[in-house]
Amino acid sequence: MSDRLADEDHHDEAPGVSRRGFLSATAAGGVAAGVLPSVLAGPAGAAPAGAPGPHSSTLSVTVNGRRHQVTIDNRTSLLDLLRERLALPGTKKGCDQGACGACTVLVNGRRVNACLTLAVRCQGVEVTTIEGLAAGGELHALQQAFIEQDAFQCGYCTPGQIMSGVGCIREGHTGSREEIREWMSGNICRCGCYVKIVNAVQQAARKQGS
Amino acid sequence: MMRPAAGTPVSRVDGRLKVTGQAAYAAEHDAHDAVRGAVHGVIVTSTVGKGRITAIDTRAATALPGVLAVISHANAPKLPYRPFRRVTDPPRGEHLRVFQDDRVRFFGQPVAVAVAETLEAAQHAASLVKVTYAAERPATGLDAPAGSPNEPENYQRGDVDQALRQARTRIEQTYRLQREHHNPMEPHATIARWDGDRLTVWDKTQVVLNTRAALASVFGIAEDAVRVVSPFVGGAFGSALRAWPHVTIAALAARQVRRPVKVVLTREQLYTGTGFRPVTEYKLTLGADERGRLTAAVHDIRAETSAYEDYRESLLTQGQMVYTTPNVRQTYRSIPLDINTPTWMRGPGAATAAYAIECAMDELAHETGIDPIELRLRNEPERDPGTGAPFSTRRLRECLRTGARTVGWDDRAPEPRSTRDGDWLLGMGMAVATYHTARAPAQALARLHADGTATVQSATSDMGPGTYTSMTQVAADALGLPVSRVRFQLGDSAMPPAPPHGGSMTMASVGSAVADTCDKLRRQAVRLAIADPGSPLHGASAGDVVVQNGRLSLRDDPGRGETYQQLLARTGRPRLEARGGYTPGEETERYSTHAYGAVFAQVAVDERLGLVRVRRVLGVYDAGRIINPKLAHSQAIGGLVGGIGMALLEHTVTDPRDGRVVNANLADYLVPTNADVPDVNAVYLDGEDREAGPLGVKGLGEVVIVGVAPAIANAVFHATGRRVRDLPITLEALL
Repeated sequence: MSDRLADEDHHDEAPGVSRRGFLSATAAGGVAAGVLPSVLAGPAGAAPAGAPGPHSSTLSVTVNGRRHQVTIDNRTSLLDLLRERLALPGTKKGCDQGACGACTVLVNGRRVNACLTLAVRCQGVEVTTIEGLAAGGELHALQQAFIEQDAFQCGYCTPGQIMSGVGCIREGHTGSREEIREWMSGNICRCGCYVKIVNAVQQAARKQGS
Repeated sequence: MMRPAAGTPVSRVDGRLKVTGQAAYAAEHDAHDAVRGAVHGVIVTSTVGKGRITAIDTRAATALPGVLAVISHANAPKLPYRPFRRVTDPPRGEHLRVFQDDRVRFFGQPVAVAVAETLEAAQHAASLVKVTYAAERPATGLDAPAGSPNEPENYQRGDVDQALRQARTRIEQTYRLQREHHNPMEPHATIARWDGDRLTVWDKTQVVLNTRAALASVFGIAEDAVRVVSPFVGGAFGSALRAWPHVTIAALAARQVRRPVKVVLTREQLYTGTGFRPVTEYKLTLGADERGRLTAAVHDIRAETSAYEDYRESLLTQGQMVYTTPNVRQTYRSIPLDINTPTWMRGPGAATAAYAIECAMDELAHETGIDPIELRLRNEPERDPGTGAPFSTRRLRECLRTGARTVGWDDRAPEPRSTRDGDWLLGMGMAVATYHTARAPAQALARLHADGTATVQSATSDMGPGTYTSMTQVAADALGLPVSRVRFQLGDSAMPPAPPHGGSMTMASVGSAVADTCDKLRRQAVRLAIADPGSPLHGASAGDVVVQNGRLSLRDDPGRGETYQQLLARTGRPRLEARGGYTPGEETERYSTHAYGAVFAQVAVDERLGLVRVRRVLGVYDAGRIINPKLAHSQAIGGLVGGIGMALLEHTVTDPRDGRVVNANLADYLVPTNADVPDVNAVYLDGEDREAGPLGVKGLGEVVIVGVAPAIANAVFHATGRRVRDLPITLEALL
């Protein structure tokens, strides 16, 4: 289904500019930024192709290793881009106000709240969502740990918890249960699985450390 | 022998879907291709707490590119709204009717919906709808109702007044609980699509059949013209037991714009667009004799409801059955206010009543100098003191003793404010939990396929406890199949009917229906084999045939047999199919059946800052048989965490001037986070309740939040010597 939407997105491109041609033209300059590019690409600069209106921009963003070129309403959050445009609803909308962490994704390897991130700021960045975490069908160690530890119930906060947990492990904040609790407290689990979320993060951190 | 799946810690069968982001929740079915081309509806809500709409100006909104419609009472069609009342609806009153008149009944009431091609356009359009009101001051507090109190619910046994006069010790206190919101992580959402006169909705609901009935009534169409699909529910805790106004709004908007419409409530809108645990004031008078035995109890309860519906919950049950009390009087009044209607929230009634009763028991223990656990043991009844019926099982004593042993209760210095850890005052408290075991009729359908796998379905739900998994275990055992070869399906109104996924009755009701259905299917296969001359089992007695790991064989001659696949292939059948069900029998009348628990809490209170930190919570439960200990443990610690929130954090604050919820977000409405939850654990007593129903289960989901708040409050008293009777216990109360 992501194929379908990616294909639809091609229609946003100007006639005569192929997806392949576009990718090769922008591959060199598009990925130099940190978490978020400090200099925002404006609609014109970001749009070698397409015909965005006064309130829209063309954006090139890599999600789970796949380049997307989309013309978006400037008001679109990264979260809504993922859920409503790129057919990647694994990233959840819990509060849309940066208070619950359900929308946590990795942007250039670091965890961010996708609901507080305007999509237009993501020009050239690499986004990893829950859908992109398993490599070739094999679950990431933390995904596996979540299943084994039963670190979820309803499952709605789970993608955000896992993406946040991946960040937490990468940041090295897994020295103790207390440290994990502190650094995982941006992600609310209303089913109350915190004890097991800590178990799962610990398990995956150990596995990756070994 | 194949080991039964029930009773083993099977990992969630839907775990992989949930950890990979593939589980489709209500607002996501358009991305998963179940429905294509959905446009977005964004609701506009009232900004006054009571009054009338005098004008709605939609010109700026409709002028925006991409906006398809703005629908309000000014242009909405009159909807039939056939009268209907499901078991989860309040006993009296009328559903809020969407866009049918100019009246505003509460702050945050839906007054319009903007529908647009994109979410951004719909949000912008909604912000541009100008609504003018003739506002009145709403009634939002128990002491200033919107009208006369509703007819009280009363209960009486014995002579309370005389017993109180003769009591050696009396406790008379008032306990107050603030409004709490479920705040499931998944916002309520509905996608609606019309195909001619047929309506399909993808909805967040704990009861697909309620949503179906509600929509059929609202639009005046047959129930079988409505299909409701809800395979995953991102938490609900009771909030999805009714079809709230936005469900109708999505369907109405879809009909008006002739496109599928998706409506997702914002976090803020959840506070007035769904229900909540009501503000409750619980005055309790206890009388006890010289040995601490309760002689009398007077429960005088007031709770908020809306002016248009009289919501009631089971606030009186516990006061009638938890302790031997010969003389009891109860009065429960609901107070109509200009608010939206409260609803069931985890442990409804019981969690509230337990707060008052178990805190009062702690006060009585302190007053009489009797150990709090010993006081409970002295008041432990042999039969249900309310109905006189025998308990099916009641192992509260074991719960209390197991918990006391585990937490080291006997080492606790009984005197309040006697234990310290630096600046922290330490305390340990406990409370008892009970929850009535409800059961309701349920049906299921099971199919055995030619490849030796089975699918089983029932129109139930899985908001998190693991219905998919536990039902798969029950079905696998009844079919003689491994769990990996059984698939359980739920959340579709086209499936056989199931009761609400709430009230801790799913396992007892749907589980029993699944067991019955799969038993029938297995026996059907056995009959087919023994009647078939080509079968190695031909001519055998059905009672001698067992099915294990998908193979039918003689119990005493395991070598003689065949697999389901061989049987179906040889007899040329693509599948076998059976329908079955469960109807509660006289056991629900003959026995008093409840789940029980003992909850222990250890807290530290900063003496100078008033800060309360939970250090440990343990729940010990008698819930009958446990189908999946791994999932049951998660459910229990989740309830305990919910109880921490109830005790210390959760409080929906209303501005009395206009009825606005001032903290309608997850930054200001506090719920427990990971840092708030240290050592939380739960233990289930081994065993089953043979009188409770075919599976021997008594229900888990509700009882695990009951008793947590009073255990923490009692621990705070033990730590500080300060008795805080209003929840949540915030630091200003301890300074």
